[in-house]
Amino acid sequence: MIKEFFRKRSLNLCIINTGGCNGCDIEIVSTLAPKFDIEQYGIYVHNNPREADILVITGPVTLPWKDKLVEIYNKVPEPKIVIAVGACALSGGIFKEGNVYAPVDKFVHVDAKLPGCPPRPSEIIDAILKIVPDAIALREKAIKNEEKEISSENLN
Amino acid sequence: MNVVPIGPIHPILKEPIRLKLIVEGEQVLGSEVEMGYVHRGIERIIEGKHHLKGIHLVERVCGICSYIHTYTFAECIENYSKIEIPDKAKYLRVITCELERIHSHLIASAVYNFSIEHETLGMWGLNAREHVMDLLEMITGNRVNMGYNLVGGVRADINKEMIDKIHNKLNELRDDLKNIVAAFETGPLIGLRGKGIGVIKYKGIMKTRAVGPIARAAALPESDWRLRHPVYKTFKFKPVWFENGDCHDRMEVRHHEVLGSIDLIEQALEAYNECAGDVRVKADIKGGEGEWRNEAHRGEVTYKVATTNNGIIKRILVRTPTVMNIEAMKIMFRTCPTISDAVTTYTSIDPCVSCTERTIILKDSKTGKTSNYSFNLI
Repeated sequence: MIKEFFRKRSLNLCIINTGGCNGCDIEIVSTLAPKFDIEQYGIYVHNNPREADILVITGPVTLPWKDKLVEIYNKVPEPKIVIAVGACALSGGIFKEGNVYAPVDKFVHVDAKLPGCPPRPSEIIDAILKIVPDAIALREKAIKNEEKEISSENLN
Repeated sequence: MNVVPIGPIHPILKEPIRLKLIVEGEQVLGSEVEMGYVHRGIERIIEGKHHLKGIHLVERVCGICSYIHTYTFAECIENYSKIEIPDKAKYLRVITCELERIHSHLIASAVYNFSIEHETLGMWGLNAREHVMDLLEMITGNRVNMGYNLVGGVRADINKEMIDKIHNKLNELRDDLKNIVAAFETGPLIGLRGKGIGVIKYKGIMKTRAVGPIARAAALPESDWRLRHPVYKTFKFKPVWFENGDCHDRMEVRHHEVLGSIDLIEQALEAYNECAGDVRVKADIKGGEGEWRNEAHRGEVTYKVATTNNGIIKRILVRTPTVMNIEAMKIMFRTCPTISDAVTTYTSIDPCVSCTERTIILKDSKTGKTSNYSFNLI
């Protein structure tokens, strides 16, 4: 109960640059600045997939990332939320003709999409705050239902 | 001997790169760098496109130093097809370029300060940077990928209110910066983490051809390509240099360069006030090829472009500073007593991975021979 309450309010964020031009990453880093201050919302940018709640994926998927993206996605504990940031992650953007395998949702399940090249820091914060608490609650419910079903099946 | 892998996803890295540190205890003995995570084949995409499309692609070679790439690309084509751009555009380009240099150096300093776990200075740096981002947004209309430059001038002019605002913000920024520089120079813990760590001297620089703030921290002031630029020659400007070549000096070079950039912007604004007319001319591009170099925020950037008569790009070759600086990093690792010092050394060269990865290798399907995709092949 207490864990559920706080999980919705304190979140760890992990940035994965799957081959973008750095512009989106820079805008995510500038959300740390005192002008935007993402930490006052209880969001901590830590870049560690093993304790992350939110994955922020920027960039078209390049060749080495094809397998590694799924690998990293599997390492993140449940419930996890994926936000695709920037035009490259959504459609390949300007690099569509190049050596890329966009979009991101071919490989992992994406909860929110944020267009822009790059989106502004305030938009990134807005998107995270809008999607994440409800999405985490929904996912947690789904996991609990699955566990119940499994345990009831075992009883039968 | 153990191997400590760092990356491609790691708390200190913002870009994917894999470092393998060979360690004995905590002493770093050697390193391997594994790259290729950001290879999109951008040179190949640009080939065969019109220069108006090409300039947007060139901007996205890198997101942090996006303006300097379009600046060099435009000047390269203007140089060999002899396009005379208006004076106003020349000075507007200098102003935008120097503003971007300030924001790039400030974020480098902030990331370095986070990596030596001095969070206060990191936050001060990020806070000062937001002033510059506001100015960039006011002048060009966007924060990061600006789309401001063109072959033959710039897209928009500035007015008198904007000039006043730039002066005010720059004065605020100068006060903030003097505070940061004083704290950085006198902080005892900052000195302990930076002085004598990651040393590279003249011999190492000549061996690896390192450029930019790394060369200038090792007493090589002539590595600044702004000294050879026709517009910068008209301003009063001296390159910054230090002589120890360690992490601390590299950050000092960046801090003092920011102060120099503020002076350059003020000189450029003075010169701008005396000009009149348009900011853009029609570009008649002649077929040919040429080469142009500029001082990017991390060092010297080279563009080689070949175009047809209508402005279609035949072949483009980009050489960015981080290619050489990552080689220099291997020499710096010899003076890193701990693993966390290796991480701060990595952040002190301010690497830009997405700039770096563009190599194309050709493979003959009949003979199986591989060769480089050289500029003169077409």
